[in-house]
Amino acid sequence: MKTLTASTAISSAKILPGLCAIVLGLTVVLGLGFLQDSNNYLHNAAHDGRHSAAFPCH
Amino acid sequence: MTDFRKLVAISLLAGLLGGLLLSVLQHYQTLPLILAAEQFETPSAEHVHDWQPIDGWQRNGFTLLFNGLTGFGFALLISASMYWRDQRGYLYGLGWGLAGYLVFFVSPSLGLSPELPGTESAELHSRQGWWLFTAAATAMGLSGLILTKQRWLQIGGASLLVLPHLIGAPHPEVAHALAPEELQQHFVVLTSINNAIFWLTLGAIAGRLLRKVTF
Repeated sequence: MKTLTASTAISSAKILPGLCAIVLGLTVVLGLGFLQDSNNYLHNAAHDGRHSAAFPCH
Repeated sequence: MTDFRKLVAISLLAGLLGGLLLSVLQHYQTLPLILAAEQFETPSAEHVHDWQPIDGWQRNGFTLLFNGLTGFGFALLISASMYWRDQRGYLYGLGWGLAGYLVFFVSPSLGLSPELPGTESAELHSRQGWWLFTAAATAMGLSGLILTKQRWLQIGGASLLVLPHLIGAPHPEVAHALAPEELQQHFVVLTSINNAIFWLTLGAIAGRLLRKVTF
């Protein structure tokens, strides 16, 4: 068993689940906040939310 | 990967609750301002045929969906950070919520303030680029400043917090907005308050829910 002594170190078993959560979270947030589709469907649906969350819109 | 599934479940619940609260706040506070600002816009010919949600339940429903899903995404970032640092409880959650508010709202808004529809701005991609760079620099800056004990990392972190604002956000050569200035200022104040409430609630709920699970 490998034990990490430094208090700030992340135990190796925790790296992957946390990383997956971060990647999924960023994908969801950036997709909703930033994607522009050619038909403007996503933009128009997300319009009020983007303005109110201070994402650059238009 | 059961830990991952637990993080997703916690974040989904926190995000939906936070998103619901934010939607209620927005419905009574910022939506009336957005609708008022749209009265000053004349629809351009190329946009008039695009699909748009109908005002009322459809439009509000999409905003609720947007807030719930972004809440889910933000809650994933909070719960994963707490999971990595073995933290749980609403007090830690409030701290991470405050960090999220600074990273994703306050710092980008210092350069690109929340805008009502009909505001003339610099080219979209340059603003999106600056926004992303600012959020990333602020996240790394705060980590360096608060989560480390080495002096050089703290100095580096503080510099990263300031850097995007020294570079400056892209702005149009001539600023122009259709809605009156007073409406715009009101919008900035209300979005700042609403997003603070949203982030702190989101963090507190995620932190509290982390107590319910064992990793």
